[in-house]
Amino acid sequence: MTDYISKLKERFIIDKAHHQYRHKPSDPFDLARELSAQEAGDIERSVRRLAWVLKRERPAVYPDEKIVLLRTEPTIPEIYTPEEKEALARQYYIHEQGKVCNVTADYEKLLLVGFEEMTRRLQERRQTLEPNQQDQRRQLLAMEQTLELLTDLAERYRQEALRVGNLSAAARLEWVPAKAPRTFLEALQMLRLIHYGLWASGQYHNTLGRFDQYMYPFLQRDLANGLSEEEALEQLEEFFLCCNKDSDLYPGMQQGDNGQSLVLGGRDERGENQYNLLSSLCLTACRELQLIDPKINLRVHGGTPLSVYEEGTRLTKMGLGFPQYVNDDVVIPCLKGWGYEEKDAVNYSVAACWELIVPGAGMDIPNLDALAFPQMVLEALDDFEAAEDFETGLQAVRKAIFRRAEEMTAGRKPVYMEPAPLLSLMMEGCLEEGRDISLGGRYNNYGFHGTGLATAVDSLAAIEQYVFREKRFTISQLRRMLRDNFEGEEELAHLLRYDGPKLGNDDERADRLAVLLLDWFADSLEGRRNERGGIYRPGTGSAMYYLWHGREMGATPDGRRAGEPLPCNYSPSLFVRTRGPISVVKSFTRPHLDRVANGGPLTIELHNSVFRTPDSIGKVALFVRSFFQLGGHQMQINSVHRETLLAAKAHPEQYKNLIVRVWGWSGYFVELDEAYQDHIIQRAEMTF
Amino acid sequence: MAKGTVFDIQQMTLADGPGVRTTVFLKGCPLRCQWCHNPEGLSPRPQLMVSPNGCAACGACRRVCPSPERCVACGACVKVCPANLRKICGVEYTPEELAELLLADREYLTALGGGVTFSGGEPTLQSEFLLETLALLKPMHRAVETCGYCPEETFLKVIEAVDYVIMDIKHTDSAVHRRYTGVDNAPILSNLELLKKSGKPFRIRVPLIPGVNDSRENLETTARLVAGAPMLEKVELLSYHQTAGAKYSMVGMTYQPEFDVSLPPEQWPECFREKGICCDVL
Repeated sequence: MTDYISKLKERFIIDKAHHQYRHKPSDPFDLARELSAQEAGDIERSVRRLAWVLKRERPAVYPDEKIVLLRTEPTIPEIYTPEEKEALARQYYIHEQGKVCNVTADYEKLLLVGFEEMTRRLQERRQTLEPNQQDQRRQLLAMEQTLELLTDLAERYRQEALRVGNLSAAARLEWVPAKAPRTFLEALQMLRLIHYGLWASGQYHNTLGRFDQYMYPFLQRDLANGLSEEEALEQLEEFFLCCNKDSDLYPGMQQGDNGQSLVLGGRDERGENQYNLLSSLCLTACRELQLIDPKINLRVHGGTPLSVYEEGTRLTKMGLGFPQYVNDDVVIPCLKGWGYEEKDAVNYSVAACWELIVPGAGMDIPNLDALAFPQMVLEALDDFEAAEDFETGLQAVRKAIFRRAEEMTAGRKPVYMEPAPLLSLMMEGCLEEGRDISLGGRYNNYGFHGTGLATAVDSLAAIEQYVFREKRFTISQLRRMLRDNFEGEEELAHLLRYDGPKLGNDDERADRLAVLLLDWFADSLEGRRNERGGIYRPGTGSAMYYLWHGREMGATPDGRRAGEPLPCNYSPSLFVRTRGPISVVKSFTRPHLDRVANGGPLTIELHNSVFRTPDSIGKVALFVRSFFQLGGHQMQINSVHRETLLAAKAHPEQYKNLIVRVWGWSGYFVELDEAYQDHIIQRAEMTF
Repeated sequence: MAKGTVFDIQQMTLADGPGVRTTVFLKGCPLRCQWCHNPEGLSPRPQLMVSPNGCAACGACRRVCPSPERCVACGACVKVCPANLRKICGVEYTPEELAELLLADREYLTALGGGVTFSGGEPTLQSEFLLETLALLKPMHRAVETCGYCPEETFLKVIEAVDYVIMDIKHTDSAVHRRYTGVDNAPILSNLELLKKSGKPFRIRVPLIPGVNDSRENLETTARLVAGAPMLEKVELLSYHQTAGAKYSMVGMTYQPEFDVSLPPEQWPECFREKGICCDVL
């Protein structure tokens, strides 16, 4: 990291000096009341929201920075009053905040032509409209106005740059965004402006997509003209820092849940590896900067060399929780099976967390709702009680899954989203058809999470083992135990919780049930269509549902007590100490993941000292690769850090699998004396 | 058929030989190294191991104990602990049972350039069981991690049955060795000579204990002992860590080393490197 980047990090991340330029938040409904009184249409409202924000922006430029733009206006106003929102909700399904979010724009659509040329095309298209195409005219005009507003902001930034003596930034803004960038740095400046524009338009979870693909040509040109890799890295690092300047203002469930994910690598239609120099520089930049944004997803496939996994592992070592790996060899066939065209399937990117979407073409809503697998088991207990054998009872679980699929899909109100003119400019067909992306894209598929798979599997395996095979107790006795939350049944609770067959132990008794449950989830959604003509995609993610579902759910037959959380995403149950990472990988690659790739990774936690030598980095890389060679879809490795260790200390029962390397040996963190735990926590503070 | 007692099986061990490995820890050790970090591996018999963290003092374990005066490792308390803090450390396996378990991962481990390592405790202490198991594991890469303290005949059979050997040399002086490990080092040093001549690839490990064996003189002598051995891959110096005593209280023992645990051990990798021996400090 150069001195310049250290200085920027100090300014924007440590000191947050730029927060001094921020205004006080306003009432988010002020504008909505005005728009409502004027009975403005929704497209007009969207443009006026952006105008409202940009008018309040007071350009702030540091004399030394190369990529400018700071958000000084913290409020992104609403365009509907609360009453109007309620009325909309009666008629429509409002997803989350009712704004277009969690999709990937095709940034090339603007980066390759510049705002002037795009404006010209919009005008040209407008002139060819029939007189009766009023909606289209309004829409195209809105797109044009959006570009005008952003151009004006860029011009004000140029003037401010001149005023503070930052001549090079001013010179760049004289060219971009009006014209297509000529250099990597101009492209980064323009991308920063567009990305800002998305947030200012009310869009959120604005992912950065396949950054190493669409930005590479700009970098290649510079490198050919003599730019050094070190200089390129510095420019890249400044852009990554920019992603952290305003991120505390972005909406999300938790700080950091802002969707600024970025995808690297992958293969194209011919199977060629697309991992390039920029991909590698991105990993280096993240390793040096150690910031939460952007979050890195690394696409891998059979042709990915081990060295790429090693680079990824060196980043994992930093304890940032990324890269998250995604397997092209599972995801691409899965997307194709769901009807995505080959060229789109190979171009997939990752939405905010791990949902798989197609840049520029997918208006998918991959997180529409969630099915809680353990609930399906609980609903089948009546049938298990009546069943003569386990397999008969198991059919009731299948029925419950189908019932839940029906509930999640049938009789849905149509989705309504606020128009998104800027984003529409970067989504296929919107310009050509004069249509807003909020009305739908080429793909309009909805996805469902599947939570608590391991809890459900372990519960079923326990029923098979102890009720049907060993006949230790009956279903009605089990139900009593569940009702009483295992009160007075400590020994049986222990048996169920710790000694039963568990998913993650490479145990066929449990693994086969995971295969069935995920197959049934996929079967239950097959052939169903949503109101936009799209399909429903099943997945292995949990998002925040692992807490929500867990809180609402009573005790489960795997010995989980009422209210205890479910495992996060696609992972073993929290209190299960599995035999080890190899068993986990083997168990979790058994299901047919190419049918349930809506998104949701297996998470494995390794202590950061596992990463300490080049030799062990190479071995961890082999381990990561093995998951994909066995057919895994998505994986995330954690080099465990202090916060996790502190949490583990406070709640040891939830961190049974946390492995720590202590000297020349590994042990379970929760088994160590407090003094040793503190020692390791201290050491973790020193580990970067 | 010999049964063996195993106190742990760890997957994905990265430092116990080539590739990604599974390490089997056999229970029981003839040495009593004062710095031992696996006290549950010392006794050959199964024993109760209790983790103190997360104990709600509910008393369930006390209520079911049939022998409160003296633990007989019956395991009654293990089954009732709501937090699963208790376990019987030491599980008996037949060679077939253990081999079946390990062979299940044969393809996986082989693909990752690894295999199985037998450690301890001291694996040669259960040599009959070890040899029978090793024979069943023939399709896999097999390694042993030994202190070298065993009869010559046993040592030869074991190294013959594995593909790779990791051997400790804790001290070159017999009196100091006896003081800190409880045994004479003569059998170890003579087994080292057999290992050097065996043609097996091997690695030497020296745990660096502050004030005990971390002097330049001792490491020079160690280097002279192994220098020139054609199959020596490398020497690893493992610096003593204060967490070594972590598990003693869990098996009802007290950690009482006679050296100053707070001192950082000296490291002299150059003693080896000067002789052309690859040396890693871990």
